[in-house]
Amino acid sequence: MSANAFDQESKPTAAWLWQVVTGVGLVILLGLHMIANHFVAKGGLRDYAAVVAYFRNPIILVLEILFLVCVTTHALLGVQAIILDFGVSARVEQLVTRVLKWIGILTVGYGLVVMWFVIK
Amino acid sequence: MSTLNYSKTRQAARWFDVRRRKAGMWAYALNRITGIGLVVYLYLHLGVLSMLLQGQSAWDSFVALARSPFYLTLDVILLAGILIHGLNGLRLAVTGFAFSAGAQKALFVILMIAGGIILIAAALKIFQI
Repeated sequence: MSANAFDQESKPTAAWLWQVVTGVGLVILLGLHMIANHFVAKGGLRDYAAVVAYFRNPIILVLEILFLVCVTTHALLGVQAIILDFGVSARVEQLVTRVLKWIGILTVGYGLVVMWFVIK
Repeated sequence: MSTLNYSKTRQAARWFDVRRRKAGMWAYALNRITGIGLVVYLYLHLGVLSMLLQGQSAWDSFVALARSPFYLTLDVILLAGILIHGLNGLRLAVTGFAFSAGAQKALFVILMIAGGIILIAAALKIFQI
């Protein structure tokens, strides 16, 4: 890696494009999430009753599910990029991708279970 | 059997050492360090949300704790990480599509200054000063 990373850091692969798409989505969705949950909410956090009312709004629910999918995808693609920088073999690269995919599925599944428990 | 070898590992981890490096390397390292921190925070946050499964008293006790100055300070640190990573990420997205490729350093500096201003305003709001 050269001393000046500005010339090297952007590589338009499919993973990089997904990283950008989810990243741009996160700027909007995380912005909304932070404002709604930590700046608008009284005292900076919602109590249990307010959390239930918040998630029972269908528009909020859809936005929070989108946020969960975007943040998980973005985070795990980032972890994948860091691991692959170690120059692992193609077999290990495949294994890492598969493991991270399952971690992502489990993470989104867990988030959906929490949301379901709150709104039921 | 490990598939890593020492030189590759060392080479891949060089991004962490920003001594005597130019602004681009600082941007790259900052993006990765904040990214790793945010991944750790994401899973801590999801773990904390499991308190919602334990019902009202568990969650409301946590909310009372999270409004303490210590947790509010952690919130400001978290927000700093989000702003650095998010704004630097926007720069990467813009320049990755070959827009403003010649002005990356200026873009980085401007976005970090904007991030600093947003952080100060948010910190004042968080502590209700």
